[in-house]
Amino acid sequence: MSEAEKKFLEVRELTKSFGSGDTRQEVLKGIDFTVAKGEFCVLLGPSGSGKSTLLNILGGIDSADSGEITINGDKLNRMDEKGLTRYRRKHLGYVFQMYNLIPNLNVKENIETGAYLSDAPLDIDELLKVLGLYEHRHKLPNQLSGGQQQRVSIGRAIVKNPDILLCDEPTGALDYTTSKEILRLIEDVNQKYGNTVIMVTHNEAIRQMADHVIKLRDGRIRHDDLNTIKLTSAELEW
Amino acid sequence: MENTIRKGKRPGDPLKRRVWRDFRSEWKRYLMIFLLLVVTIGFVSGMYVANNSMMKSLSDNAEKLCREDGHFRLSAMPDDELLEKIENSAVPVKTYGLFYKEDSELLPEKSGYKGKVRVYTERSEVDLYDILKGHSPESAEDIIIDRMHADNAGIHIGDTVSVGGTDFTVTGFAAFVDYTALYENNSDTMFDALTFDVAMVTDEGFSRLTVPVMYNYAFRYVNAPPGRSEEKKLSDAFIAELAAIAAGSGCTIEDYVPVYANQAVNFASDDLGKDKSMGGVILYIITAVFAFIIAVTISTTLEKEASVIGTLRASGYTKGEMLRYYMSAPLIVFLFAAVVGNLLGYTFFKNAVVDMYRNSYSLPAYKTLWTPVAFVKTTIVPFILMAVINFVVITRTLKLSPLRFLRHDLRKTKRKKAIRLPHWSFFSRFRMRVFLQNIPNYIMLFTGITFVMLMLTMAVGMPDTLSHFQDNIQDMVFAEDQVILASPADENGTIITTAAEGAEPFSVYALERRSSAYDEEVTVYGVCRDSRYISLPDSADEENVCISKAYADKYRVKKGDTIRLSDKFEDKQYRWKVCGITDYSAGIAVFTDSGSFNRIFEKPEGSFSGYMSDTQIDDIDRRYIAKEITSEDMMKLAKQLDHSLGSYMTYFQYLCVIIAAIILYLLTKIVIEKNERSISMAKILGYTDAEIASLYMLTTAVMVLISEVAAVFLGYILMKLVWAEMMMTMSGWFEFKMTAAGFVKEFLLVFAAYLLITAVDLIRIRHIPKTVALKNVE
Repeated sequence: MSEAEKKFLEVRELTKSFGSGDTRQEVLKGIDFTVAKGEFCVLLGPSGSGKSTLLNILGGIDSADSGEITINGDKLNRMDEKGLTRYRRKHLGYVFQMYNLIPNLNVKENIETGAYLSDAPLDIDELLKVLGLYEHRHKLPNQLSGGQQQRVSIGRAIVKNPDILLCDEPTGALDYTTSKEILRLIEDVNQKYGNTVIMVTHNEAIRQMADHVIKLRDGRIRHDDLNTIKLTSAELEW
Repeated sequence: MENTIRKGKRPGDPLKRRVWRDFRSEWKRYLMIFLLLVVTIGFVSGMYVANNSMMKSLSDNAEKLCREDGHFRLSAMPDDELLEKIENSAVPVKTYGLFYKEDSELLPEKSGYKGKVRVYTERSEVDLYDILKGHSPESAEDIIIDRMHADNAGIHIGDTVSVGGTDFTVTGFAAFVDYTALYENNSDTMFDALTFDVAMVTDEGFSRLTVPVMYNYAFRYVNAPPGRSEEKKLSDAFIAELAAIAAGSGCTIEDYVPVYANQAVNFASDDLGKDKSMGGVILYIITAVFAFIIAVTISTTLEKEASVIGTLRASGYTKGEMLRYYMSAPLIVFLFAAVVGNLLGYTFFKNAVVDMYRNSYSLPAYKTLWTPVAFVKTTIVPFILMAVINFVVITRTLKLSPLRFLRHDLRKTKRKKAIRLPHWSFFSRFRMRVFLQNIPNYIMLFTGITFVMLMLTMAVGMPDTLSHFQDNIQDMVFAEDQVILASPADENGTIITTAAEGAEPFSVYALERRSSAYDEEVTVYGVCRDSRYISLPDSADEENVCISKAYADKYRVKKGDTIRLSDKFEDKQYRWKVCGITDYSAGIAVFTDSGSFNRIFEKPEGSFSGYMSDTQIDDIDRRYIAKEITSEDMMKLAKQLDHSLGSYMTYFQYLCVIIAAIILYLLTKIVIEKNERSISMAKILGYTDAEIASLYMLTTAVMVLISEVAAVFLGYILMKLVWAEMMMTMSGWFEFKMTAAGFVKEFLLVFAAYLLITAVDLIRIRHIPKTVALKNVE
């Protein structure tokens, strides 16, 4: 792995606060870390630790007060709004805890909303088969289970084959079995396509399947470890 | 998972497909907007198209049907020499004999009817006619009559009409180019299409009538005057020549009417012009309602779509892509509505308006004309308005970060702390919570109802205003009878007098108050200093005048202000200081004393124009009377306005109820949709549909009632302002009035629309599934 690939994502001295005056609350208090290309990185931490805020800043949908983010050599904080939109369009895939599917588009069309953004998207029918959704491709989101809906949202994110897949508590609203299915899917995407995955979770068990674990508390990084022994998603228990 | 997935093709924009899905899933909302647009575009363009087509037909017919430049009536048949003299005078004209006989009109089929008919000989060179049904008279027994009168009197083709005992068979209905409004005498204040008729027979048929011939001649100038002021000068010169020639021949002139002063020719087109300004006001109000609906609809859509917008923006969709998508549906709806609305405007709605005009006037056949102004005002302007409002609302909302969309945080102000409520019953507190949560929606509802009320105030208040005018006309006029003489002295130079009790001489002259909006005719009166009809302040003289209350109200003129008036035909200006306001509301008038009047207008001392009195002046020979105005005549004016505008307003009232129902539908739909999750949860908790309706709909019903009551008054206040603006483009002044019954009618009309919508809302609530509450929400 080249030096550039090792520093695929670099975060330096990142701070973020909300409110002003007496109500000002520092959410991120100087965050520094690096993620290598193709790494599966988990951002762990309790509620209010700042992990979702950090993910949103990495995704260019929120801004930092200070600090620097470099992704594949591009500095995020130097981009204007159009540049950020272009960056999200070309390099990012987003998976939310709430699937946020478009209610009056069917499964296939929801995935097409992601494919449309890429010049070289993955073949949608094949992807649907891989996601186990091919039989459901003509169904509307409200005809699907939570797990199926989350698979559609992952499909929507990965169909454009993004460099980075950002997942915000993707299993937060799902049961144990379905959560494991989703984790398996993300694991597969990471391994077979080499996308860098950054996943926010408060589920300690998930750290075991990551290459890289960053633990946040009170807006600071408490641990930044590389996993030497990784479990597969199937081996996870909680 | 397979090892690799091959690359596929980039699909077309899925959001484009979604636009059509949106129509399907939101068809009721879009249908309502579509209907609102169709009715608006159709109604207003119908009005403009009918108006324009008819105006064009009237002006084209003046040329095509060789309309006279004026006519005069002589006391005896002139010989060729006299006619030659007239034609070759200093004002050369071509004369055409347009003889007529006047007699009673009886209908053997209708025993109770008795009218008066003016029967002309066959017209072939001047003042031709448009046959609207049937054919021209061919035999001595054939007669064609005015179409409008035929409608009013219920005469059909083939019916027998008895003219002074001589029977004729009606072979056709016509519109004569010199009688678009059936004025018997030009001095009449109002036309009479009920009992006065104009007809034409063959020369043989004419000789069957036994009454004396009226030697009426139409004339056309050899050198047509280029403008109105030249026409007036030419006409004045011609009558002077005619009078001199006639005096030398022993003939007297019994009638002289230049076309520009001929009410039978001009009244209909003037009225059509007034309708156009009224249509303009309706359009402004409807456009405002429309803008409001668009703004509400798009804001609601964006709020509802917050998650989708946030996700798509976070995925990399640009603002431009989102803007194009959210603007597509309203634009498509608009384009469809524009096509349908314009088609209906040029057919159904135009016919409705034309029928209304035909109800009042003897109008010729017309061709429906492409009316660009209607298209611009009803289609292009609302289109731009809609596009701009959508653009502004969407771009302003899209400025928010994707994160705020994902968090449904689209409001500038954050939610305040929950308000503590007193210890009411649970249901009362629940309803109060519903109210507190929905305050912005209820403000929207109130605004919508106010707009509808504004329109209804016009539709309901207009007939009320005219009735008020009719009922109070006796108090408004300063003298019951006003007679304006053709000249103060008879042909022997003897001053014309009257023995009518309380009669006073007065002078009158018409000036103009010019403004960019409208040139208003202002009547200047010169009255006796100690007049019993007008109380002039002592300070009234050549420099200081008294004005009517109507003048003061319309142009907001106060005592001490300076008014500026212009001569209608000459380049002369008059400046006066207002020294008093007299209680006269029926006209825009200026008063001063007779002496000052004569000096101002350079009239000989002692000169006057006529007499006014509270008793009827009936002892002056008609041939000396140029015009007579009685309070009855002024009533006719209001009655006729009521007749022509009244049907317009009924038409408009229906439109208002439709618009009210559509607005209430759209707004209550928003309230229910925003509370869908809570309603669903209440269902899960075990509340019945009736209980839920009482929680959510009762609050809305109370708000509708409160809004209605407030809007009735607010609409009235706004309408008074709109009315004042509208009157600025019309002659005269009516104060906008509305009766208590009018307020109640307005309230009930909107409430009826609400009851209709409530039924729809009840069904809506019943159809909200329980699963809505179980969907994931952040």
